[in-house]
Amino acid sequence: MEYTWASVGGVVAVVLVEVLWLRTGVFRTATFWIAYGIVVFFQVLVDGWLTKLSAPIVVYRADKFTGWRAPFDVPVEDYLFGFALVALTILIWVHLGRDRRRPAGATSTRGGTGRRPRR
Amino acid sequence: MDLDRFQYLLLMALCLVVTLPLELLLGARVWARPRRLLATLAVPVAAFVVWDVIAIARHHWTYNPRYVTGWKLGNLPVEELVFFVVIPVCGLLTYEAVRRMLTEWDDVWARLRRLARR
Repeated sequence: MEYTWASVGGVVAVVLVEVLWLRTGVFRTATFWIAYGIVVFFQVLVDGWLTKLSAPIVVYRADKFTGWRAPFDVPVEDYLFGFALVALTILIWVHLGRDRRRPAGATSTRGGTGRRPRR
Repeated sequence: MDLDRFQYLLLMALCLVVTLPLELLLGARVWARPRRLLATLAVPVAAFVVWDVIAIARHHWTYNPRYVTGWKLGNLPVEELVFFVVIPVCGLLTYEAVRRMLTEWDDVWARLRRLARR
């Protein structure tokens, strides 16, 4: 079950990075959750191919995770792993794109006003 | 040539090809900002390479030698390093495309019309 705990820890760590440090507000935006829904759909396809038990590219050791796989043969822990990876990336991206002239916290929760200069 | 060995790498290449229209058609402007992209990627790549190296050492998972090149950095298959670059890029392209469609739809529409006219 080590992978299970590691994957839960990964998600907690990323949420803490946002809440305690970056405070981008990304998790409160529709943009993030719509994008994440699309990402998960494609994750099922890609991860499904990587983990399919008939011809696996990545082989998971049975005693290191719950053994729950859905859909296809995707280990459920992979969804937590994937969330941690993609959410961390988007948090950093949004953080680096923030307008430094405005104080932190004053930025729009949509990650931009739509008319700001592009960088 | 044994293409099976490149299956993992080809899957990653496919991910880049499939997401490219988000940049070229919808104007996600992720590839167009290489410095911000590189600075962003440094964080998840570093964190997840560490995670992966530990997970491999502790036998959480292994790689089927049939579908990977066998090229490694220490005990890390190069495919995994590629994964930690490609998947975040796909995530960013999706995020930026959705953000533009929600907040800058007029720009996106004008851009698509310009592209269609060419």
